[in-house]
Amino acid sequence: MSVLLLPILLPVLFGIVLLICPEKWFAKKDTGRKKLCILAATALVLTGLLVVRTLFLKDVGEYYILFYLTRKLPVQFHLDGIGKIFATVISVVWLLAGIFSFEYTKHEHKEKRYYGFYLILYGVLNGLCFAGNLVTFYLFYELMTLVSMPLVLHEQTREALIAGLKYLFYSFAGAYMVLFGLFCLSRFCLSNTLTFGAGGILDPTLVEGHETLLLVTAFLMILGFGVKAGMFPMHAWLTAAHPIAPAPASAVLSGVIVKAGVLGVIRVVYYLFGTQFLRGTWVQYTWLTLALLTVLMGSMMAYLEKGFKKRLAYSTVSQVSYILFGLALMEPAGFTGAVLHSVFHAIIKCALFLTAGAVIYKTGKKNVDDYRGIGKEMPITIWSFTFISLALIGIPPASGFISKWYLAAGALESGIRGFAYAGPVILLISALLTAGYLLPITVRGFLPGADFDYTKLEKKEPSALMTVPLVILAVLAVLLGMFPNGLAQMISRIAAAVM
Amino acid sequence: MNPIFLLVVILIPLLGGVLIPFLPFRSRKQFEIYTEVVVIMASALVFLLMLKRPSDPFTLIYFTGDLTISFRMDGLSMVFGGMIAFLWPFATLYAYEYMRHEHNPVGPRHERSFFCFYTMTYGITLGIALAANMLTMYCFYEMLTLITVPLIMYTMSREAILATRKYMYYSLGGAGFAFIGLIFMIVYGNINFQYGGTLNPDLIGNRKNLLLLIYVMAFFGFGVKAAVCPLNSWLPQAGVAPTPVTALLHAVAVVKSGAFAILRLTYFCFGITFLRGTWAQYLVMTAAMITIVYGCSRAVKETHFKRRLAYSTISNLSYILFGATIMTPLGLTAALAHMLFHGIMKITSFFCAGAVICQTGRTYVTQLDGLGKKMPRVFGIFALSSFALMGVPGLCGFISKWYLASAAFESNQVLACFGVGALLISAILTAIYMLTIVIRAFFPKQGFDESSLEGIHDPGLYMLIPLFVFSAVIIYFGIHSVSLLDFLTKVGNGLI
Repeated sequence: MSVLLLPILLPVLFGIVLLICPEKWFAKKDTGRKKLCILAATALVLTGLLVVRTLFLKDVGEYYILFYLTRKLPVQFHLDGIGKIFATVISVVWLLAGIFSFEYTKHEHKEKRYYGFYLILYGVLNGLCFAGNLVTFYLFYELMTLVSMPLVLHEQTREALIAGLKYLFYSFAGAYMVLFGLFCLSRFCLSNTLTFGAGGILDPTLVEGHETLLLVTAFLMILGFGVKAGMFPMHAWLTAAHPIAPAPASAVLSGVIVKAGVLGVIRVVYYLFGTQFLRGTWVQYTWLTLALLTVLMGSMMAYLEKGFKKRLAYSTVSQVSYILFGLALMEPAGFTGAVLHSVFHAIIKCALFLTAGAVIYKTGKKNVDDYRGIGKEMPITIWSFTFISLALIGIPPASGFISKWYLAAGALESGIRGFAYAGPVILLISALLTAGYLLPITVRGFLPGADFDYTKLEKKEPSALMTVPLVILAVLAVLLGMFPNGLAQMISRIAAAVM
Repeated sequence: MNPIFLLVVILIPLLGGVLIPFLPFRSRKQFEIYTEVVVIMASALVFLLMLKRPSDPFTLIYFTGDLTISFRMDGLSMVFGGMIAFLWPFATLYAYEYMRHEHNPVGPRHERSFFCFYTMTYGITLGIALAANMLTMYCFYEMLTLITVPLIMYTMSREAILATRKYMYYSLGGAGFAFIGLIFMIVYGNINFQYGGTLNPDLIGNRKNLLLLIYVMAFFGFGVKAAVCPLNSWLPQAGVAPTPVTALLHAVAVVKSGAFAILRLTYFCFGITFLRGTWAQYLVMTAAMITIVYGCSRAVKETHFKRRLAYSTISNLSYILFGATIMTPLGLTAALAHMLFHGIMKITSFFCAGAVICQTGRTYVTQLDGLGKKMPRVFGIFALSSFALMGVPGLCGFISKWYLASAAFESNQVLACFGVGALLISAILTAIYMLTIVIRAFFPKQGFDESSLEGIHDPGLYMLIPLFVFSAVIIYFGIHSVSLLDFLTKVGNGLI
């Protein structure tokens, strides 16, 4: 039990301490900051170790109940494959983005508040991964929105406040759509505590005659979690909130928090309703359409967008819908591709936003058009960026290729009329667009052209605290693509269990 | 326990309050202690009566036939009475500090009569809670309107007088319609409250529709106090009263009396077997649903702090009415749960608003920028009550919403499922109108002038203690509600 609770409680406690301790602990100019960073780093590393420890535990069969909210709603934790994978990715991203932020927040104000909420959010996300039933998941989901909001609002400029409020209200609207399912479902399930069970927990005898209500509920829940995952038409908050947050916060927002929405969709479709109930229904078709629409739209808008961080935000919108598409197929290969892409995209998007952060931190330039010659000024940063871009576009042997392969295979295998071919075609078009919105930055960065004023170049490489995480992420992105088998096999086993 | 104590518990605050203007207090401190002791004695007696319930009712006056003024402690009385008894001592404590700051044009005598009426209201609300039949409840209901008039009118400003007039017209008018319900109950049944209703089926014959119409009239009659659409415009206007009045009376005592009366009317007079599935049920359920969405929508647009909370109250009261109109035992349980939890959450929100008004004189939401740094405890607790009202799991608001939605789905009526939709729309609107205040307070816009916040600090202990106690209760029932909800389920099923 403590194995699951410690990774949740430890960072939350550290975070709360940081939030309520008096300002003067960290008031001294440089040593105060150093103390703060060391404290945050300790929390991140300890929790990361605890999470990695869970990786080596066998899937624990029991469900640990912490307490009962009401008779039928226990707060329950459970360790299974999906939870382990997501928790590990979260820890890796959180640690690396945290290290990056030690340098980045030098120019920010109110760092104590930033790190406090950063750590609490880490704990809450671990709670999300280890949630054993819908109520626990929903509890941590709401907490996650509340705790991540101060990170979005951090700058407290007018745009930041508006973006933060937009984020809040879209997220809550989505959460309340899920709440409808929470209210409605327990009468139709085998387990009336809505505990997640691989393959779904609907009781077919109880479902008879109520299919419409249940399909509407399923759709609302998918849409509700889809808000967090930036699915059309509820993606508008993402492109407002992600660019405006400080870069390491954007990295974790785009890299990890959208995956909370994805995890929610996985839990709803594969562990609550079950694919048998949803396959072939209007819910699946609508979901596939929306996902593909988002993929295309996101890539196109990213291509047209000139602001660097906003371009990456649109990219997130597009990429996460790859994952949702894979999940909507309800095929083992599609599922594997989706989960693989969740892992890879988290690493990739985190690195992309950290690059954006490094570039903006060092040069102050926010528009893609101003990045000519930047590769010569910040070689390590932009080389890492290049490898990450290749991974996102899907060029073998980098990781994106593997996940897209599985997604396309899943689409073709599913044989769903229209979508089986439309899927891979749209994925391909999107890959081309991805190349279109990422590669020019590299190309113009290293090869600014004959008419460029080379005398204006200066060495602007950021410090090791910023470059080392970037390099690690780039290496991971490529290595995971070259040696994906362990991960892919683990996910295939999970896929077999739920379908 | 001897049933006479049912009368005693009502008389203690009534007599204790009446004496306040006449007793020669030598200092404010003496007067504060006297009033608090009176209120605590009454509350203690209420809790004692809950523990050792008298098995018989106590009859004060016999009119003719079976028309009596009698009191009894049954399950519903325990819930409503217990809530009032718990909240009143804290509210009195809060009112002491508040009234010290309140610009008082007339001086100490005026303040004494405020507390005189404030304490007497306690007695009358207990009378409503302990009423054993419709006639008793109706009498105390009318008395409640009259005794709260001086409280709303306290500042004697033009707004206050207009608000009071509106309150009186609406309430007395509403009570008139309820009176018609009382008369028909006398003819077609029996006015004593009994779980399952007391209508005599032989006497009804083919007059079912007439009786349903009377039910609807009585529902809307009592519904005036319960702020159901379209009869709720008195409530936001009554926000002009001092905060202890708006908080306790208009978030807890007066409006919950209206909801309580409707619960008595539906479950203990007409009875759900008579009403369920009829056009009357659909009509009142629709009214409740409309009010839920209406209240929240108006709250979003409202910029006056206390009026925003008043609209929120309108919406939440209709949650209780929605539970009542589901007309199943689980519906009653859910309505009672929300009655209790909303009472606590709303009184906390109003007390925070009052503390802000007291300390800063600022009454509009747009003036609250950056105050979170200067009044962290008040705004922290306000944030907690916001999360609770929104229904974040782990706090009590989630529990009552869960029960309301469960009751709605269990009742197998399509309209009730749409009601759950109304609840969810209301939840997102609640998030909007509560969280914008919290965000303004803690995350003011950059470039905000901090010097305008000079000299502002958290209020004193008299205000903070009630706030802390209520927060603890909100959190406690959020994570450990099983025992309370089991009790409420038994009450809902008529077993207590």
